[in-house]
Amino acid sequence: MSEIPWNVIAMQLFFGIALGCIFVLLSSGMSIIYGLLDVVNFAHGTFAMLGAYAVFVVVSLSDSFFVGIVSAVVIVGIIGMVIEFLLLKPLYGKDPLLPLLLTFGLSVAIPDFMKIVFGLIGKPISFPDALSGAITLGPLTLPGYRLFIIIFTLVVMISLWLFLKKSDLGMIIRASTRDSQMVQTLGINVSRIWTVGFGMGVGLAALAGAIAAPMMSATPDMGVDMTMTAFVVTVVGGLGSLGGAIVGGLFIGLVVAFTSYVASAYSSVAMYFCMAVILLVRPRGLFGEQGRE
Amino acid sequence: MVDDRTSTIKLPNLHSPPKPVIVYGTFIVLLFLPLIISTPLATEILIWTIFGLGFNLLLGYTGVLSFGHAAYFGLGAYAAGLAFRYLDASVPVGIIMGILAAMLLACIIGALAIRSKGVYFAMISLAFGQMLYFLALSPLKGITGGEDGLTRIPSLDFLSFSLGKPLPLYYFVCIITGIMLFVTWRILQSPFGKLLQAFRENEERAKACGYNTTLVKYCSLVISAFYAGLAGALNTVYLSYVPLSTLFWLTSGTMVMMTILGGKGTFLGPLLGVGVFLFLQNTISLFTPRWELFVGAIFVVIILVFPGGIMGTLTEKFAAFRMRRQGE
Amino acid sequence: MLLRTEKICKYFGGLKAVDDVDFVLKKGQLKSIIGPNGAGKTTLFNLIAGAYLPTKGKVFLKDKDISRFTLNKVSRLGVVKTYQINHIFPNLTVFENIRIAAQVRKTSFNIWRQAASYREINELAEEILLQVELAEKRNQPASTLSHGERRYLEIGIALATQPEVLLLDEPTAGMSCAETNQCADMIKNLNRNLGLSIVLVEHDMSVVMSISEEILVMNEGRTLAEGTPREVSDNEEVQRVYLG
Repeated sequence: MSEIPWNVIAMQLFFGIALGCIFVLLSSGMSIIYGLLDVVNFAHGTFAMLGAYAVFVVVSLSDSFFVGIVSAVVIVGIIGMVIEFLLLKPLYGKDPLLPLLLTFGLSVAIPDFMKIVFGLIGKPISFPDALSGAITLGPLTLPGYRLFIIIFTLVVMISLWLFLKKSDLGMIIRASTRDSQMVQTLGINVSRIWTVGFGMGVGLAALAGAIAAPMMSATPDMGVDMTMTAFVVTVVGGLGSLGGAIVGGLFIGLVVAFTSYVASAYSSVAMYFCMAVILLVRPRGLFGEQGRE
Repeated sequence: MVDDRTSTIKLPNLHSPPKPVIVYGTFIVLLFLPLIISTPLATEILIWTIFGLGFNLLLGYTGVLSFGHAAYFGLGAYAAGLAFRYLDASVPVGIIMGILAAMLLACIIGALAIRSKGVYFAMISLAFGQMLYFLALSPLKGITGGEDGLTRIPSLDFLSFSLGKPLPLYYFVCIITGIMLFVTWRILQSPFGKLLQAFRENEERAKACGYNTTLVKYCSLVISAFYAGLAGALNTVYLSYVPLSTLFWLTSGTMVMMTILGGKGTFLGPLLGVGVFLFLQNTISLFTPRWELFVGAIFVVIILVFPGGIMGTLTEKFAAFRMRRQGE
Repeated sequence: MLLRTEKICKYFGGLKAVDDVDFVLKKGQLKSIIGPNGAGKTTLFNLIAGAYLPTKGKVFLKDKDISRFTLNKVSRLGVVKTYQINHIFPNLTVFENIRIAAQVRKTSFNIWRQAASYREINELAEEILLQVELAEKRNQPASTLSHGERRYLEIGIALATQPEVLLLDEPTAGMSCAETNQCADMIKNLNRNLGLSIVLVEHDMSVVMSISEEILVMNEGRTLAEGTPREVSDNEEVQRVYLG
């Protein structure tokens, strides 16, 4: 390792954090859904894929990337709420594996539907003009878009945190995560909170897909890899913990960035390997609650 | 809590062991399968049925959902393929290599993941499955052939029958399927098989009875990997080729769909599920390459409306019918 | 002395659920643990059964330290618990519920021999079906039993593992008056006729007073009083806790 110059290390660090930020958005959505509904959303990456396509459609109509991002979150959030309302609600209180299986069915069907509508070939999404340049910082040249991802994620996560901590709805969501029956007794319609929570979770997934889209273009099959990444991050960070999603996401992002530089053939394997090691050392993940493993 | 869910009258005969005549009868029906459908499709159905018998032992009877069974199936396929190609192994030796490799992998993954419960186990097994897929795709390309799969497997003979021809191959697989049906039937009625079902019904209570439930789950996983490895190795014999897709997550997912479709926790569920699934897949593929859309949608409907699958729903209807008859 | 705890403690965070309790059970004894809600009865119970690890202190079975043993190991040694909320195998038949527990000392991992061919196990299971009065319902799925019958099955499963010490957690919970008396008689019979040592956690005072030989009263995790039913009911402290 000693031969690698420090500025290369710094660049990889930067790339890793930017990648990790996408993972953080993705996995925090998954954590919110699991914490609130006890549902492992197998179609999480599929919603991210829908987010990427929503950006593609809206950008080609409105020509504004930022309008695209916002509408991706709104559109996919609404789709998520409809799916939760129609398909997941009937399964609550039954076998806990059923919601996982149902979302798995969605993750098989939806990509094929997208292939029929948009074709097999991926849809490229160009970087927004304002962010396509690079910023020079001493000896480092940082691509503007990745810098944007980092700052953007920071803003989103802080607002999410403030929302959950300070707002009334956020407070209800946190309380429902702890004990939904108690919240129900207080006269709040928990069922509606679940719908909103699911919409929020997949909205975050859509956001991850949307901001990742210019770097990888939207393809129907991108969802599976994103679901898989979300799973790994969740196992590493701990199921249902927002802090775990943040730390786990950044950690996995760094792991992927560095292995793709050092040994690119192993870049896809490395994160699974990390997961195996974490499981061996700390089975419930870095931030997991006892008994949740 | 458990009580509320199950207080509706469930079917006594759903979980009771099948009569021996069903096992033998099924085998005899399978002997005539090539008369009804094309021999390659029939062979494929049997291979997946073997895979499904083992998967159902884990999901249906032990109540453990693994989303990474492609790892055992694929490793069995690759191990057999490598043995055939490089060691010039005979058919039984290659198959045994496939089985052993799959079981060994289950021992390792099990040791890491077995303590995790429910959805957590499903996620972890899936992640390990993908790890194997990516290992075969790129770092181990030299051995596995990467994206092209493992090719140039010599044509195989068994007892002077050429397994390159469809019919001898079908009956070779059919006999093994018959044996595995019988073995599964024995296992289900053994003390261990009963213990699996007790584990599914109430793990905590099984533990309070003095059973080491973690070990029960572990053994169930390894036995299930035996079936998967066997099916994988047979798949290699059938195709004379190992596609990389044997390790892909969709292979695990397909198995999950087949088992749920047929009826998890029923003896003939896997056979029916595999048959109907492959039939649907083949039929829909005639009209559109987008069969996954339809299969996925059908699966969603099944989860919502018939969580018992074909066998579960049939048994339920049959029991209701009998009760009405008795009432009259 | 069959079973004994030594200064046993269990803390959940800051809550001292069980604090420094010495519990002694002699062979053949029927001893009850009583106390108001949240007194730590069930926690003490789970500590003895191996469902919880003690924070401090020890559990001895015939002078063997079993404090660190898991639930299944303790069960194999002959100390078996039942559950307050029904913990049966709902989709298995009543007979199978009992049989699965009965096979624990004979065989667990045999995957070839047929379960039906073990004569001793089947006989044991039949015998227990009679003891808990469920022989007529043997082929029904356990989920179709009434609440009272499930409570009996709960005890039957525990009995089938052939325990030395039976830990009964509120066996009469949710039963009608008549059922409660019947159940109390059955527990008494298990103790007198089969010589089983029994620890009973129970809310129904009439049951406790009529069948126990000794009673341990707990309050806020600690021992409040101990003695025969007579001594306990005369104890002023106990009266204060229960009435005041």
